[in-house]
Amino acid sequence: MELDYLATVLLSSLSSASILLIATIGLAVVFGLMGVINLAHGEFLMIGAYAALTATQYGIPFVIAIPIAIAVTMTIGAVVEVLIIRRLYGRLFDTMLATWGLSIAFYQLAVLIFGTVTPGIGMPQFNLRIGNYSLAGYPLLMIAVAAVATVFVYVLMTRTVYGMKARAAIQMPEMARAIGIESARVNTLTFAIGCGLAGFAGAVLLPIVPATPSMGFAFVIKAFLTVVVAGPVTLTGSALTAVGLGGGASVTASFLTSVAGDAFFFLITAFLLWLYPLGITAKWRTKM
Amino acid sequence: MFRIVNATGGYGKTVIIRDVSIAVDKAEIVALLGRNGVGKSTLMRFAMALIPALSGHVEIDGRNAPEAPAKRAKAGVGYVPQGRYVFPRMTVTENIGVAAETNGHSGRLAVETALREFPMLRPKADDLAGGLSGGQQQVLALARALATKPKILLLDEPTEGVQPSIIDEMAGILKRINRERGVAILVAEQDLDFCLSIATRAYVMEKGSVQLETDRESLRTDKKLQQQLLGV
Ligand SMILES: Nc1ncnc2c1ncn2[C@@H]1O[C@H](COP(=O)(O)OP(=O)(O)O)[C@@H](O)[C@H]1O
Ligand SMILES: [Mg+2]
Repeated sequence: MELDYLATVLLSSLSSASILLIATIGLAVVFGLMGVINLAHGEFLMIGAYAALTATQYGIPFVIAIPIAIAVTMTIGAVVEVLIIRRLYGRLFDTMLATWGLSIAFYQLAVLIFGTVTPGIGMPQFNLRIGNYSLAGYPLLMIAVAAVATVFVYVLMTRTVYGMKARAAIQMPEMARAIGIESARVNTLTFAIGCGLAGFAGAVLLPIVPATPSMGFAFVIKAFLTVVVAGPVTLTGSALTAVGLGGGASVTASFLTSVAGDAFFFLITAFLLWLYPLGITAKWRTKM
Repeated sequence: MFRIVNATGGYGKTVIIRDVSIAVDKAEIVALLGRNGVGKSTLMRFAMALIPALSGHVEIDGRNAPEAPAKRAKAGVGYVPQGRYVFPRMTVTENIGVAAETNGHSGRLAVETALREFPMLRPKADDLAGGLSGGQQQVLALARALATKPKILLLDEPTEGVQPSIIDEMAGILKRINRERGVAILVAEQDLDFCLSIATRAYVMEKGSVQLETDRESLRTDKKLQQQLLGV
């Protein structure tokens, strides 16, 4: 086997892993940090994709469409937190039911507004040549995007006053209030940030994954498994899991078949959860 | 300076404390004594607005205290709950820093001050608070409350489950903080010796009401009172 082929497989697998990580980061915040199982996470991703698509259709450049998608999904996320989620913290099953209903509503709304087929926006055309092979540049760029997004959330949550308040407010809402933190407001913002990250994912992946009402579904299962396997040190754990599981699945898929890739993903996930029921980071003594 | 006036409250429909009034003067240390289950912690939670007031209110410097706990904290009430409740997946430094920053003080300075004041936290500064021993968590909860620069500190059984050497150290620190910064303290306790060593006045609670207000001297000398009210 030639070296250039191997490099190509590794790079495109790392790129798939990064795409998974980008789709997962919002969940790492909402589920990992806040303990909320948001079954509408995939639909927030979809809303982000449509927001970006609609913006580009109005002639707005793609790079500006991305922050618009973030703003739209953060706003919807904040409203959802205030109307629904805040009444249900600590009630896992009720939250799942409520967000499941929400995901169906968002899906139907998307079908009504946009129909089931929508035009793609076309991949920005730049390629990377490795030996005899040529790789599309945009998916490779996602490796850097995933790295930057992960570092951004890590710094936001561990190095800023907001990040400390966010963790305090969700770990012990009452005690946080007793030292002056407006827990309710902080939790709204944190949930909105998680939704905004989903919107970011939908927007930034738009050239690779076209907007469809059901696109969220494609991501949400793997994203959830990634966060569950990650465990309590949610961000670092998710990054590791996404690279290990997503990357491994993609390598398997390139040498065998895409079915084998998925089989790899789910089997290793089951094995890891059997080995670490509370996630791979359950015993880590670090915070994010 | 700090007054709880006719406090009546509890959990849901169950009334636990009835018509309790307590006053703490500027820079005074007052003890709240009583056996287990008489409602000391409930009164502390009332004072912090963590339970709704069925009737009664709280005053700070003669003005009605805000109704929301976060605003009350910002108005100068520091709270150390019974059972510690430090933020477990945050470091010692972050526990102190977030309390200071939330109230508009420098987190870095607050951490420096706290580590100077409580040297036992120094080697643990970067550890997660959830991994500390009971005594260390208690000291951290105290350091966190002080980082908000309160006018009045509400301490709920600070000596519970803490080893004697640390209790002595804690008494010394509380007296110094009270003297140097003029922080008033209301401390709920079952440990009479600890209270006698720091407080100058005491309220004794029984069945959700204040039974008696007394000073240190009569509490120290009246063995019958001790027997009757505290079972010591
Ligand atoms: N969260 C709660 N819900 C319902 N009842 C409670 C709760 N906390 C305490 N109580 C009850 O309130 C009464 C007083 O408790 P507490 O205020 O903790 O007393 P103390 O602090 O003096 O030991 C007890 O009978 C206790 O069972
Ligand atoms: Mg108590």
